[in-house]
Amino acid sequence: MADTLISRRSFLASACCAAAAPVFTPVSLMAMPGERRFVTIVLRGAMDGLDLLQPYDDPAFAKLRPKLALTPDKGLFDLDGRFGLHPAAADLMPLWKARDIAFVHSVSTPYRDQRSHFDGQDILESGGGHVREQQSGWLNRTLAAIPRTASRRAIDINTSTELILSGSEAVDVWSADSNFGSMREEADFLARLYQNDSDFAAALAEATRADGKASRGMVDAEKRTTAADVARVAAQMLKADYRVASFSITGWDTHVGQIQGFARPAKELASAIIALKSGLGPEIWNQTIVLAMTEFGRTVRQNGSGGTDHGTGGVALVAGGDIRGGRVLGRWSGLSDDKLLDQRDLMPTGDIRELAAAMISRQFDITPDKLTNTVFPGLSFDRSSDYLRLL
Amino acid sequence: MSLSLSTMAMLRYGYGFRPGEKPAETADDLIAQIAVGTAQSPLSPLGGVAERRRRIIETEAMLRKARRTASKDEVSTLQAKVRRASLRMWVQDSAARFVQTVTSPLGFYERLVFFWSDHFSVSANKNNLLRQLVMVYEAEAIRPNVGGPFAELLRAAIQHPAMLRYLDQSVSYGPTSPVGVKKKKGLNENLARELLELHTLGANSGYTQTDVRNAALVLTGTVISQKRMEMDFSSKFAEPGTHEVLGVAYGDDGRGPGDMLQLIQNLARHPKTADHICRKLVVHFISDDPPSDLVQAMTDTWQRTEGDLTAVYSTMLAHPAAWRNEGTKARQPFDFMIAGLRALDGNGDVERFFLSMTGPSTFSFEGEDGAVRRSRYRAGRMLGSLALKRMGQPLWQPPSPAGFEEGFSAWVTGGQLAERLSWARTAVARFGTDRDPREFLKATLADAARDDTIRVVSQAPDQATGMMLVLASPEFNRR
Repeated sequence: MADTLISRRSFLASACCAAAAPVFTPVSLMAMPGERRFVTIVLRGAMDGLDLLQPYDDPAFAKLRPKLALTPDKGLFDLDGRFGLHPAAADLMPLWKARDIAFVHSVSTPYRDQRSHFDGQDILESGGGHVREQQSGWLNRTLAAIPRTASRRAIDINTSTELILSGSEAVDVWSADSNFGSMREEADFLARLYQNDSDFAAALAEATRADGKASRGMVDAEKRTTAADVARVAAQMLKADYRVASFSITGWDTHVGQIQGFARPAKELASAIIALKSGLGPEIWNQTIVLAMTEFGRTVRQNGSGGTDHGTGGVALVAGGDIRGGRVLGRWSGLSDDKLLDQRDLMPTGDIRELAAAMISRQFDITPDKLTNTVFPGLSFDRSSDYLRLL
Repeated sequence: MSLSLSTMAMLRYGYGFRPGEKPAETADDLIAQIAVGTAQSPLSPLGGVAERRRRIIETEAMLRKARRTASKDEVSTLQAKVRRASLRMWVQDSAARFVQTVTSPLGFYERLVFFWSDHFSVSANKNNLLRQLVMVYEAEAIRPNVGGPFAELLRAAIQHPAMLRYLDQSVSYGPTSPVGVKKKKGLNENLARELLELHTLGANSGYTQTDVRNAALVLTGTVISQKRMEMDFSSKFAEPGTHEVLGVAYGDDGRGPGDMLQLIQNLARHPKTADHICRKLVVHFISDDPPSDLVQAMTDTWQRTEGDLTAVYSTMLAHPAAWRNEGTKARQPFDFMIAGLRALDGNGDVERFFLSMTGPSTFSFEGEDGAVRRSRYRAGRMLGSLALKRMGQPLWQPPSPAGFEEGFSAWVTGGQLAERLSWARTAVARFGTDRDPREFLKATLADAARDDTIRVVSQAPDQATGMMLVLASPEFNRR
């Protein structure tokens, strides 16, 4: 419909032009007929699943993480007597009680050993069996697999699509002006980058000083767009003629001072999911599935800096008005040394791709055959998948 | 530990590596670029110099006619129109200038063009005419002459209408010349002073205020032909008599255009000029604290070859100091930006992006795709000329006739860094989403990449941050 198109365009244009500031995080969207919606949230930087969803009932847990481990009497929200939710994500508790959210622990991509963010995210988004096996994103291939006739138009407003949605199917991109969550983290990396260059270290110190005129670029972070802002925009788009959206939340790479570092992105994640729910309204929320996932988990033990390092098994979140939530899925293998991967990481017992396949098979009526041939080539998935119990 | 010759050649003497472009390997490769570059026509001004000149001459004639015949309101309406058109032309020429530098495999030649355009600064901010003329000036006076002889480069720069307008020579009258007497107007010393202080001898090199004034008298009679938009000589503006500059008398046989040429020749030949310029070249390319034996070797060559610039560059590049102590200079904003765009131009995206700002529909935001084009246009401005402005080095707009700051400390500051980080994030989001940061680091900095950078980039929490960190690294911002 031409009217919708024009008004959406002008909306996009004004949204983009308010974004004069230099940092971009795109929301990628896809329009198509049908009522069911699917949203992916990519948690970049390796979200610590053991912090978000704490196995407080496992006696080894507190020993492995003396600084980080919580219990229900220390603010943790008990979920099922075994796992508890991190207090920073408390906003999600009403969803849990309404059975609108579920957690899946011990999941991972097929990526092993190297623990590089880039490669991990490459596999997470491309859906391949190994790094750079697939050039396009699995969500884009999902679109290609959906039977439909309507023609589509693409809008590229400001920046390019993230890998998960890139590919031959046309995708629109809306850009917010901030890389929410990552500024503080970025400053840490810059400090390390300049640690042996006193000229640049001094310039960075000057740039980050809040009172200086010079700090413009850094102060922009204070007025940043939040994940909830982006989620609200995504919700508006999904209420109109878009059916698929994807955006990212960064700031999860908590090598140092995780107590402070984890709370902020965890709160962002919770508020983004809440914003999606309220933005969509009850009727559309019932037709929506949100999948939040990360490239890999983090070490089971806390490290010497009050943080955790790159691991393997992690946690994924599924939310939506019509899912059978209020439960924690996944096969728990335990935290004793012999049960860990390489004696350091939570043993992955489930494949994120299978979880994703289960969600999109239901949302878009894609056959298992198509899912394992084109969307996730080589994946083992059929109608007996445990993850289908969520639906 | 020293870097490979090729890395030094690309970082210190060029605009960095570009994927798919064969890098310079030796000093000879760099020198060979000069002859190739001087023979080529640049992308800016768009449409070529002849077309631009025709347009400028027409516009100026129209304005002159309007001032004679039209009402004040009509004239100011016309001026506003000219201003708008010249701004648009400037935006498009800037985009062409970026494409020119990003895509040129002649990095050393392009760096020399920037150096000399800065040495003989003119600014687009002076007026509407200059805004249309700066790129013509660069194409006509600078680009063909950076290979020397210096006297020829000096002549081309000083006699170009852009310079004559910028430094007010066009309003300098011999006080007792026929026009000066009739209009009761006198001398403007601006060009003469900068000619001695900035373009040739250098500040505090021994000339006096009398030399400046007398040089200004020698320059009188130099006017701009409005019909040809070229320098002309008119004895009606020329101060009669002989005028002595640095002990040499000009005008003995009556005043003529030869006086200025003679003055230019003598200034170009002066030992102070050789010293001033050789030192400035070394400061620009090698070190804020130039090794005196290197400067000496270059001035020797200058004297021996009567200012053959290519020979002077060869002497510079043949000296061991030219290939040592990498990273002591800061990349200036234009250098930083171009090097970033070159590094990110893996599949021609950068080139296509800026070329899309040079077409006839650049400013047409109507219709179906208007919003998309407007957003592209804004992004192009933001990544290009506006970014340079925020970083303190706006294209073709030096802050003074002395050009831009040169020293390391001017360019490595908190504000500078914040702007560069902003730019890097934006540029990576647009052009760098499909690159692996570790590969990008290797391709962009080769053996200049430090261990810290290799480690931090490989640990970056996501691809975009990894890419940004490469462009933020000290070794990318130094040369």
